[in-house]
Amino acid sequence: MAGLDLKDLRKNYGTVEVIKGVDLSIDHGEFVVFVGPSGCGKSTLLRMIAGLEEITGGELWIGDRLCNTVEPRDRGIAMVFQNYALYPHMTVYDNVGFGLKLAKTPKAERDRRIREAARILQMEHLLQRKPSQLSGGQRQRVAIGRAIVRQPEVFLFDEPLSNLDAALRVETRMEIAKLHQDLGTTMVYVTHDQVEAMTLADKIVVLDRGVVQQVGSPIELYQRPANLFVAGFIGSPKMNLLPATVDAVEGDIVRVSSRDLAATAIRARSDGLKKGDSITLGVRPHALVPNQNGNVVGQVALVERLGNETNVSVRLPGGTPLMVVLDGDRALRLGESIILGFDPAQALLFDQSGVAREPL
Amino acid sequence: MSKAGPIVGGIAAIVISALVFLVPFAFIILTAFKDRAQAAALDFTWPASFNLWTNLVEVVTTRNWMLVTAFINSTILTVSSVTLLVVFAAMVGFILARRKSRWNPLVEFLILAGLMIPPAVVPTIWLMQGLGLFGKLHGLVLIEVAYNLPFSIILYRAFIATIPRELDEAAIIDGARPLDVFFRVILPLLWPVTVTNIVVQSVGIFNDFTNPLYYLPGNQNATVQLTLYNFQSQFNTSYNLLFTNILLITIPPLIVFLFFNRQIVAGMTAGAVKG
Repeated sequence: MAGLDLKDLRKNYGTVEVIKGVDLSIDHGEFVVFVGPSGCGKSTLLRMIAGLEEITGGELWIGDRLCNTVEPRDRGIAMVFQNYALYPHMTVYDNVGFGLKLAKTPKAERDRRIREAARILQMEHLLQRKPSQLSGGQRQRVAIGRAIVRQPEVFLFDEPLSNLDAALRVETRMEIAKLHQDLGTTMVYVTHDQVEAMTLADKIVVLDRGVVQQVGSPIELYQRPANLFVAGFIGSPKMNLLPATVDAVEGDIVRVSSRDLAATAIRARSDGLKKGDSITLGVRPHALVPNQNGNVVGQVALVERLGNETNVSVRLPGGTPLMVVLDGDRALRLGESIILGFDPAQALLFDQSGVAREPL
Repeated sequence: MSKAGPIVGGIAAIVISALVFLVPFAFIILTAFKDRAQAAALDFTWPASFNLWTNLVEVVTTRNWMLVTAFINSTILTVSSVTLLVVFAAMVGFILARRKSRWNPLVEFLILAGLMIPPAVVPTIWLMQGLGLFGKLHGLVLIEVAYNLPFSIILYRAFIATIPRELDEAAIIDGARPLDVFFRVILPLLWPVTVTNIVVQSVGIFNDFTNPLYYLPGNQNATVQLTLYNFQSQFNTSYNLLFTNILLITIPPLIVFLFFNRQIVAGMTAGAVKG
């Protein structure tokens, strides 16, 4: 039984601070995904948990032990690497059993656990092969097997699917989800792919430049992003962010408009907002629908027909591009004028500092 | 001409290399078969009588079976030097490639210095005497290791840089201590370079003449190359025995080369290009 507790965790390389004080609490059995653009520090944070990077400041608790200076082998963790990192000179059997051999596990026990892991991952027929004789998906499975036999308290995954092709990625993603259900251990997973994050996670941690932007369940992050960064990062296609001006503030109703946007009233936390403030209106591409009484008018610039839905890129008078996803197949002509509307309850306001003004 | 050119050139190259490499070897073999009188002429003639066996017996038994002692000494010297070289050079290469520190430039300078600066014999003898290692076989082992270490390190380092660091990290997560990482994960992967090192260094050390001459005086300490020197002075007219001796001590390096030829080339280029 082990959760994780990160308390003001920091990492410096010389004078460059890459992790700027991360506070995070992960319960036992949770599946937590770190997402963020490259260079945001998500892999560094994972490697700090694994013990591969020294911790400059703060505390790392695994279960009820302070693990800042504990050796990786004593932390009760196992890690799966992006490029598999299998030992090329050993067979799959020896690769999986290497950790047990180092721990001087008796041979019979070792054999039993290796075969058990192979059975879980359905790779019994591969045990006598060398890594060079395996496909990418099989190699990833061996890497996961190597993690399973250690019976860790916490699994760490560092972008494990990014070297696989699209079909295999979906399949392996489901296997990892199933593994989490079966084993019930804590898993920490790093990815830059938000689909992986949305589908796998109990809890997503969005990182940017070494700072946690938001922690929450996938749907929470999708529906109630805390700031502009999370709003732009979670969801595909990206949320449309339109610059606008505050026309009036009436209680928790804020009236906004811009060149591209006819006057719209939106419920939001209005403290500190006043007439004339610039503000950003966020609206998901799926929330926009053609509506003769709508408040956005533009020209169709690009149409992608996917059959079940149609992605339309609309050029607004102010030059801002607007992405719209319409249900079903729509035949739209390029250059055609289109009037769009949205339910104000599905729109979000972000103030000048980028913080979301969620209605209270 | 355009088509015949490369073929003619190739044949010429083969003929010239055959002349350069095989003629001296044929001369050694022929002379080893001759008797003392005919060998003294030092010419390229067919042996008048075949005396190889008597020559062999005489060479081996001379000076109280000195050649046998020499073979034992040379074997101990070569095996222990090469073993230490492989282990230490791989370790240094591993640390140099993996752990970047401010000492690296200094270490790299020392490696280059070791390659470039010729060893000074008299101060070395003085040092060895001070340490009580002069004239001892293990003293010479240390000298051979010191002289040849830079070259081996350079061979290893380039290759280790191509081994992904995640392998070390995976091993560390698996519970490997630093020595486990090195001996169980890294060293086995270095096999191509290790073969190159073994062949190049063992042939070099086995054939070394000057270092045993300077640092290992005394009949009991003779290495195989020194037996040649003794023969030449003792039988300066017995060229048949000298060449029989040459023939005998050429065989071990020749066998090593024949067996590992292919791997040497592979190892020499293995570190150069990321595969």
